[in-house]
Amino acid sequence: MTSATITRPKPRRDWLPGTLFLLPTFVLFALFVVYPIIYNVQASTLDWDGVNIGEFVGLGNYTELLKDPIFVTTLKNSGWWILLTIVPQALIGFFLALLLNEKIRGRSIYRAIFFVPAVLSPVVVGIVWQRMLDPFNGVFAKIGRATGLEFLTKGYLADPKTAIFAAIVVNVWMWTGFSMLFYLAGLQLIDDSVLQAAKIDGASTWKTVTAIIWPLLKSTHLSLLLLGIIGSLKTFELVYVLTEGGPNHASEMLPTYTFKQAFQLQSVGYASTISVVLLVIAVVSSLSMVRAFGSGFLTGDDKK
Amino acid sequence: MTITVEKSQVKTGTTDVPVRGRKRRPHWAHLILTPMAILWLVPIVMVLGLSLLPTSNPSTTAYGLFPAEPSFGNYIEIWTNNPILQNLINSALITVPSVLLVMLFGSMTAFALARLRVPLKAVIFGALTLALILPMSSIVVSVFKILQSMGLYNNLLGLVLVYTALGLPFAVIIIRTSFLAVPEEMYEAAVLDGAGKFKVYWKVYLPLSKPALAVVAVWQSMSSWNDFLLPLVTLQDNELKPLTLIPLAYRGVFLSQPGALFAILVLISIPIVVVFLAVQRHLVNGLSGAIK
Repeated sequence: MTSATITRPKPRRDWLPGTLFLLPTFVLFALFVVYPIIYNVQASTLDWDGVNIGEFVGLGNYTELLKDPIFVTTLKNSGWWILLTIVPQALIGFFLALLLNEKIRGRSIYRAIFFVPAVLSPVVVGIVWQRMLDPFNGVFAKIGRATGLEFLTKGYLADPKTAIFAAIVVNVWMWTGFSMLFYLAGLQLIDDSVLQAAKIDGASTWKTVTAIIWPLLKSTHLSLLLLGIIGSLKTFELVYVLTEGGPNHASEMLPTYTFKQAFQLQSVGYASTISVVLLVIAVVSSLSMVRAFGSGFLTGDDKK
Repeated sequence: MTITVEKSQVKTGTTDVPVRGRKRRPHWAHLILTPMAILWLVPIVMVLGLSLLPTSNPSTTAYGLFPAEPSFGNYIEIWTNNPILQNLINSALITVPSVLLVMLFGSMTAFALARLRVPLKAVIFGALTLALILPMSSIVVSVFKILQSMGLYNNLLGLVLVYTALGLPFAVIIIRTSFLAVPEEMYEAAVLDGAGKFKVYWKVYLPLSKPALAVVAVWQSMSSWNDFLLPLVTLQDNELKPLTLIPLAYRGVFLSQPGALFAILVLISIPIVVVFLAVQRHLVNGLSGAIK
């Protein structure tokens, strides 16, 4: 900082107020964001139980990770999660936003109903849906038995083939309202005159929506895409409560696996390795999106 | 209110011609929205219904949604027999300070980045944006170790500080956009009038950014109130635990009292739903200010 002050012609005092405004954020950020990342990277090179002194193993944890079949499962599950949450949430959310952008009666009640799941704790949502999907007492099972729809009575969370998809359905229920809210916000920014012009030109509703409104919401789509990717990679609580990553790791996600390694198996070095990989995946996917589309959708700036 | 009216519409399927002359014709969108809203509400109705399960005969009716003999016994039970009040207070002691700190520090940072001269502005902003994507679970191991070495393990203050740090990037990005929308001339005029920079920030910029602050407040309340992972690994004493840890911590106990479990879930959810409903009308505006 001192060298920068010398090279710049502006007096240092000029920076002082701004720096003071930044100070609290800077301290917290250094302590709880930057330092943990460095700490993680360092710990990932150790064979360490978190208590005794760790043994340096270089990239040993990383090579082990590549051979770990559970790691492969977590990657596969993250891929499914990204694909099967983002697309339905965006389509249903967009559709709801279109309807609820109209001045219809009770629209704020509708908006609240669809958004409320997103404000609930994943712990609450997880336990509630465990019960919903319970093959004996669950709502689905009871409806299934009453109507003869056998497929509703199955224990989807307990079946390794379906557990991850059941969790994904719960996630869609939880977060679709969030996408709706983003699209509602995006719709507010669309100039009415554009839509009026389309109407005068005789464009059908379908045409207006697909050819005008949808493309105009590009930055909303991108924000939701990025948030969806990051949110998918981050998913911990919902899966932990619903299935604990089971049965037999079938619905394991990167964070649940990290947690197990660190706090149940005491392999802190290995857990840090998974964390670093998770962080790298998150950063690379976000940076490549910013590279491809510019950072405007993320920061709210028009161009950059 | 509207919903019940519409429900009958759905059943009879008469949208084309209003049967009784003058009544305002309901919008066709209700035909889609009402069934979807009902579908979306099923889990909510279920948790409310099951929280009324009696302890003695916890059988249900109506597809497992409602208890056969509803009772408020569970609410009384969790209030008197479990120390749930302490957990509720703990949740508040974590959430309220972290929300206030995020709003304060976040808006200060946003002000510096939007209007003040700061070295390496682009780098700072880039780092913040990057931290937006930082998954909590990827740093929880090291945060746990750091809190331990700071003497903040098993301490609510540690949670407040971590939540504040992790909430700042989102807050800065949202509030900065809103500050940028305030004409720069207002800043210059106020400074020319002799107002200090802090005063301009406090008296001019903050009041003009209420929608953005509302978005930040809701978002941060959600993240602090609802979080489960960090208290799970950094709190040991039962007297310190926030509400979110209770359902799983006492899973065994709740096996025999499913109603009490669902009553606690309702209790966890009420405050955050109230916060959301209180600022709901600001949310869309605040967000559209932020993402424009």
